[in-house]
Amino acid sequence: METLKNAVDFSDFPRIDLVIAGAVAFLFLIFPLFSASSFAMATMIQFFMFSLYGMGWNTIGGYGGQVDLGKAQYVGIGAYTTAVMLLRWDIPFWVSMPVGMGIAVIWSFIIGYPLFRLKGHYFAIATIATSLVLKDLFTVWSFVGAARGLEISPITYPPPDYMRLIFKEDIYYYYLILGFFFLGLLYMNWFRKSRLGFQLRCIKDNEDMARSLGINVHWAKIKTYAIATAFVSMVGSFHVCYIKVIEPVDIMSLDLSILIALMAMLGGAGSLWGPIIGAGVLIPLRSYLKEWLGAAAGLVGIDLIFYALIIMIVSAFEPRGIWGIVEKVRRRKRR
Amino acid sequence: MDLLLGSIAAGIVLGMVIALVALGLTIIFGVMEIVNFAHGEFLMVGMYTGLLTAQATGTDPIFTLPVAAIVGFLLGVICYAGFIKFLIRGPMVAQLLGTFGLMLFLRNLALLIFGSSDRTVHHGILVGKSFDIGMGIILPATKAAAAGLSVIAFLAVWLLMNRTKIGKALTATALNAQAARYMGIPTEKMNALAWGIGGGSVTVAGALIVNFWAVNPFMGLLFTMIAFTVVALGGFGSVPGAFFAGLVVGLIMEIPGFWDFFTYTFDWPWMADVPMTSLKYMWIYVAYFVITVIRPRGLFGWKH
Amino acid sequence: MAFLEVQNLTKTFGGLRANDSISFSLEREELIGLIGPNGAGKTTLFNCICGHHPVTSGRIIFDGQDVTALKAHAMARLGIGRTFQVYAATGDLTVLEKVMVGCFLHTRSRSKARACAEEILGDLKLFDLSDYLVSELPVAAQKRVVMAMALGTQPRLLLLDEVAAGLNTPEIEEIMASIRHVNKDRGVTVILIEHVMEMVMKVSERIIVLDYGAKIAEGPPEVIAKDSKVIKAYLGERYAKEHGTIDHRSSINDQNQIR
Repeated sequence: METLKNAVDFSDFPRIDLVIAGAVAFLFLIFPLFSASSFAMATMIQFFMFSLYGMGWNTIGGYGGQVDLGKAQYVGIGAYTTAVMLLRWDIPFWVSMPVGMGIAVIWSFIIGYPLFRLKGHYFAIATIATSLVLKDLFTVWSFVGAARGLEISPITYPPPDYMRLIFKEDIYYYYLILGFFFLGLLYMNWFRKSRLGFQLRCIKDNEDMARSLGINVHWAKIKTYAIATAFVSMVGSFHVCYIKVIEPVDIMSLDLSILIALMAMLGGAGSLWGPIIGAGVLIPLRSYLKEWLGAAAGLVGIDLIFYALIIMIVSAFEPRGIWGIVEKVRRRKRR
Repeated sequence: MDLLLGSIAAGIVLGMVIALVALGLTIIFGVMEIVNFAHGEFLMVGMYTGLLTAQATGTDPIFTLPVAAIVGFLLGVICYAGFIKFLIRGPMVAQLLGTFGLMLFLRNLALLIFGSSDRTVHHGILVGKSFDIGMGIILPATKAAAAGLSVIAFLAVWLLMNRTKIGKALTATALNAQAARYMGIPTEKMNALAWGIGGGSVTVAGALIVNFWAVNPFMGLLFTMIAFTVVALGGFGSVPGAFFAGLVVGLIMEIPGFWDFFTYTFDWPWMADVPMTSLKYMWIYVAYFVITVIRPRGLFGWKH
Repeated sequence: MAFLEVQNLTKTFGGLRANDSISFSLEREELIGLIGPNGAGKTTLFNCICGHHPVTSGRIIFDGQDVTALKAHAMARLGIGRTFQVYAATGDLTVLEKVMVGCFLHTRSRSKARACAEEILGDLKLFDLSDYLVSELPVAAQKRVVMAMALGTQPRLLLLDEVAAGLNTPEIEEIMASIRHVNKDRGVTVILIEHVMEMVMKVSERIIVLDYGAKIAEGPPEVIAKDSKVIKAYLGERYAKEHGTIDHRSSINDQNQIR
């Protein structure tokens, strides 16, 4: 009961935040009524997916301060589980998604145990290494389509298939992922106030201090890593239903891992709104830069150059992200 | 047996070049404790430099090494002064993502300029020639020359670090930057110098590698990971460690060759079915993971 | 059976014997001072008792249970709390939230943890500072916040590492009152590492002196102050010989002022 109350209780934010959040949520709900192009719709779906990825990353990376650059492997596990189960045994999404989450969590425990003996740079690079190992294995594993990957798009579209999540129009995906988005937000709101959330923030602060307060640091990190994993794997399952084609080089690439971490960081790691703000800035920017500069002007790679410049500027001058700036201004005002 | 000796020889030769690739990373980490994700992209810059200067002058890339070294040195110093200097004030998360941004920037700049296709050196005095060094081992001349020159470059940097005043100042900065500052060492300049030497050594390695390895804008990450593995094995910040670890990693990269040997020797049918060539680079990542978990300080690490 | 019993505790770092066969015991609700010159091994002893360092040899028995091999977090769960000498007040948790982290050790419920933290903050007269970040507070308040954090875990034994360092006299009076209050009214057994002699002499019931990793003296404050070994350790052999035994208020205090 208290859990539920904590999840829906946003009252510790200033009223202005809640008004803005409410207005934005309302806009999200009515957005499909106004969306002029399927491009805008696709961008919004991407935005929701990446917000959720970012929220998952934010548990371990933001609240826990552990720079995890290997989240793509869990996107891959979720996506592949759903695709394989659908193609081979015609198992619907709502079954394969939890199965994928289970597999991802088990894998996260297996590698998390040795992984969290590492700190700092060693940890960050090791997460990349594990992700790349898995990618290489998937590239040669013929059961999951090896390097060519899998494709689940049907030849003719049936009427909206809510069990397998095969829709012709994007609007179905839109409202579905919007639902996930709101649930994810509530979960994160609960998480940051939960015992584990507090313990993680203390661990990020000072590990010895955390130990002296009775926190099993290693175990707390592994648990949180599993939560982040489940989150990411869940969205990965949705991801494949939406894009319909997966290749290991794409869905498990380091670029995806970095993008996930980057969005949370740009918005403000370790804050509730951070990943959403980050995704809200980066995803439309990426889509439109690619559309205008990449495709229209024929300059391949220029979108990512802008993107890289943003990463560099943010990390050099405002590592606490957009939300960090907001908080800084507020603290200054209060004093 | 030839197969085995051939793989060992190939691994060691490759390892010598890889040691030079990793040298820059370990120097930079030793002095400033920052991990440069763009390291593989620096190598890519070196490869393009070697390729283009060789094509423009009509000579072999090996003769244009000084150009690559200068380009790399400037690249390192510019990156430090224009970007890294600001980055190191922030937390580690920001440092990691910041150098990752640098990597994306360089990679896509190369993509914009050169396009995504593979480029190789087609002509030159070494291309296509090879030595037969006995026992059935045939060594391509390009690789042999690259290995030899790598060792020379490696020794030169090692001497610079250990036998000169500048090298001592760099080491002092690495050990304790604050104390070094009180001793009158311009640590800011030393940091820039570390980036210059790091960049210069890796672009030289690039100009050597381009003789036998195709270059494209996306090849940087692989070499970044290779360099990380070498540095993790040798110990972050250790120069001699980087050399020996480079040899080990060179051998790890020849695992498919060893696999062929065992397949041939034992003649078990399932061995031939393993797609070992496609998993070639996976062993690098596995090695990194195992090394850091088992021995985080590496073989020669003096700092953590 | 003593509440805490340390038997022949030895801790070596390489060739350095940071703690050399230290034995002592304390009873429930005692308030003990642990003193010694810099580098005597006081903080190492705390780290060993709390499980932050593995012990090289010797045994630690807490409340009848052998806890020698336990890790730090397990020790906290058993009821041993501690503070750290150097605590960089970073992070984005407010004072209230920091104390809640400790309180979460015994409950999963946020409201219970909050109530517990508010009670402790009220008890230490820190309630008004609840919503500040630790880094925004003056040093004296920070030190008391650190105590409050440790109290959040409901410890039965509290190890305080230099909570008065860097404070002025009225602030020391204040924190002494807090420590006495925690000891007498909350019934927490306290071991106190301190360099500020006027505080440690006033507040402790018994004092243990370490020098070069070994225990050189133990007893009530007034006896310790006259102990020739202790004076030697603090002031050097020559000074002790020339002046004989001296009143602690002048001598040890002076030394402390120089520090």
